[in-house]
Amino acid sequence: MTALSAHVLEEIRELPAKYPQSRSAVMPALDLAQEEMGHLTPEAMTEVAQALQLDPGYVEGVATFYSLFHLEPVGKHRFYVCTNLSCMLRGANEIVDHVRQAIGVSGSEQVSPDGLFSYEEVECLGACEYAPMMRLDHEYFYDLTTEKIDGLIADRRSPTPRPHPLRAPAGARPLAGGEVKPKRAPRKKKADG
Amino acid sequence: MAELRGSSGEAPNHILTRWFGTPDLHRLETYASKAGGYSAMRKALLDMAPADITNEVKTSGLRGRGGAGFATGTKWSFINRDAPGPKYVVVNADESEPGTAKDRYILENSPHMVVEGILIAAYAVGANQAWVYIRGEYDRPYRMLTEAIEEARTKGYIGPKPFGKEYPLDIRLYRGHGAYICGEETALLESLEGKRAQPRSRPPFPAVKGAWGRPTLLNNVETLATVPAILNMGGAEYAKLGTAKSPGTRLLTVSGNVRKPGVYEVELGKTFRHVIMELAGGPPEGRKVKVFWPGGSSAPVLPESMLDTTTDMEALAAARSMGGSGGVIVMDDTHCVVKAAHRLLKFYAYESCGKCTPCRVGGDWAVRTYERILAGQGSQVELDILQRVSDGLQNGRCLCGLGDSAGWVIDSTLRHFREEYEDHALRHECNVGAVMASA
Repeated sequence: MTALSAHVLEEIRELPAKYPQSRSAVMPALDLAQEEMGHLTPEAMTEVAQALQLDPGYVEGVATFYSLFHLEPVGKHRFYVCTNLSCMLRGANEIVDHVRQAIGVSGSEQVSPDGLFSYEEVECLGACEYAPMMRLDHEYFYDLTTEKIDGLIADRRSPTPRPHPLRAPAGARPLAGGEVKPKRAPRKKKADG
Repeated sequence: MAELRGSSGEAPNHILTRWFGTPDLHRLETYASKAGGYSAMRKALLDMAPADITNEVKTSGLRGRGGAGFATGTKWSFINRDAPGPKYVVVNADESEPGTAKDRYILENSPHMVVEGILIAAYAVGANQAWVYIRGEYDRPYRMLTEAIEEARTKGYIGPKPFGKEYPLDIRLYRGHGAYICGEETALLESLEGKRAQPRSRPPFPAVKGAWGRPTLLNNVETLATVPAILNMGGAEYAKLGTAKSPGTRLLTVSGNVRKPGVYEVELGKTFRHVIMELAGGPPEGRKVKVFWPGGSSAPVLPESMLDTTTDMEALAAARSMGGSGGVIVMDDTHCVVKAAHRLLKFYAYESCGKCTPCRVGGDWAVRTYERILAGQGSQVELDILQRVSDGLQNGRCLCGLGDSAGWVIDSTLRHFREEYEDHALRHECNVGAVMASA
C-alpha cells in the first residue's frame, strides 16, 4: 500500500520526459503529491523520490526550501495574508488580528481547531495597489476589510462546494487535496516567520 | 476582474499600457485586431535578420526592468547564436520584490504582449524553446498566460513554422513555489533545474552556461513586453522617450500611503513628486509624505525632501538609491521608520537562502537588534551593531544582491532618519505615536 495513489505515481513517472533534464520534474511531482495528500508526508516524499529515481533526502531538501510546500497538515482552505510593508501601511495588522480571531488561531502557520482553515502570514504577493490583500486558496482578495473577511469565512463554512479555479470542470479528475479530510495532528507551535 | 488601478488608454507616454482596459485584450483576436498584436513578430521573422532585431533593441536603449537595469540589447548579443545545441530564453515572472506588482499587471491585462516579446527574443538569440518561470502564487496570471500560449499555438505562432518560417518556437511554463530568492537569475535557474534555489557564482554567466548548462537569455516580463512596441515604432523612436541613458517608459507600482495606489506607466526622467503627488494622488488628507522606497524595498530610501529626484537610473544612483523593480512604496508621517525597517529586515532574514554567511547570519542579527530597540532596551551599542551588520552585508560580500539589499535598508534609514533611531535606542521613545501603539 503506497501513500500516493497509483494514478498519481504513474503521472509522476511520466514527468521527467517533459524536461531537458529529469531533475526538473521534482517540483511538479511534489505538487501532484501535495495536491493528493494535502501536505507532504515523509512517505509521500519517499515515493516521489523513488518514482523519479532520486535520493529521498534530496527530495525533502527541495520540499523544505520552498514555502508553498507544506510539510505538516493543512486546512481545507488556506489563508495567506500579506504582511509586508505595502499592506502593513494600509492596515494589514488589523486584518491579521481579525482573521486569527475569526478562525481561532494564535499565530502564523497554524490550523484552525475545526481543521477547516490553515493560516499563514506571508511576504509580498505582488498586488500592492489593492492593499491590504491576501490569497485564499487559489484566489486573490483585495481591499480587505473585517466585513469582507467575515463573508469569505462564512462562505467557506457553508456546505456548498466551490470549484477549484485551476482545475478542469468536475468529472475530469477528482478534486485532490481540497476533498481530503485534514488529519488533525497535534500542532507544534512555531515561531512567527 | 478587479478594477484596473493604474495606467491605461491613450496617452503620449503609454507604450505598454496604451491598450490596457480594452475589453478582451487578453484574447489573441482582440490583441491582433485592436492593438496590432503579432505584427512585430511577423516583421521580425519575415523581414529582419536576427542580428538586426538585436540591433534595434540596442538602438532603443532599453534596459532590463527586473531590477539591475542592464542594457537589454547588449545582453541579447552575449548569446552566441551560432553555437551548436539548444539555447533557451528564460523569462523571469517570479515577481516578488516587496511593493512591486507591475509584471502581474501586464500578465493580467495583456498576456499576448509578453508571449509576442518572448517569441521575438527567442528568434533573435537563436533559441527554439522558452521557459517562463512564474511565481507559484500567481494563479490568475498563470491561467491567463497558459490560455494565451494555447491561442498562439492554435494560430501557429507557436509551433514548427510560425508565419511560414522554418523556425520552430515553443514556450512552456514552470511554476515557482514560494521563494523570493528565485527572482535572482541564477537562483531561478537552479530552481528551474529542480534544486534548492541558491545563487550560483559567476562566471560562468547564464549567456554561456545557463539553464541545464546551455546558453540562456534571462529577461524580465516587462522587458520582453516592451520589445514588440520597440519593433513597431523603431528603436530610435523609442529612445526619444525618457532620458539619454534611461530611455523609454517603465511601470512604477505606487503603493502604501497614497490616495490612488496603482501601476503607472511613466516616462523615465519624470520626478517622484509627479509620480507620488500627481499620479497617485499624494498621501491621505492631513498627512505628509515622510519617506519613499523608489524601486522596491531593496532600493535605499529617500526622504520627502528628495521628492524631486527623477525616475531615471542615473539620478537615482546619484541620490544613492536605485530604480530597482520600480516598486514605489510611500510612507506618511504617521508611521515609524524604525518599525518599517524592522519589518523589512524580517523579510530579508526569512528569505535568505542560507548560502552566504553574511546574509544568513546578518539578517537575523539585525532583526534581534531591532527587536531590542523596539522593546525599549536599546542603547548606542545597538545602533553600532546595526551599522556594523549593515556594512557586513554590503559591498559584494554575498553572491547575490539579497545581502546588499538588507544592508541598504538599515544603512539608508539610519542615514536619513538618525534622529528617529536615536529616539528609540537612546531615549526609549517613539515620536510617531500611531506606530508605537501597534508595535
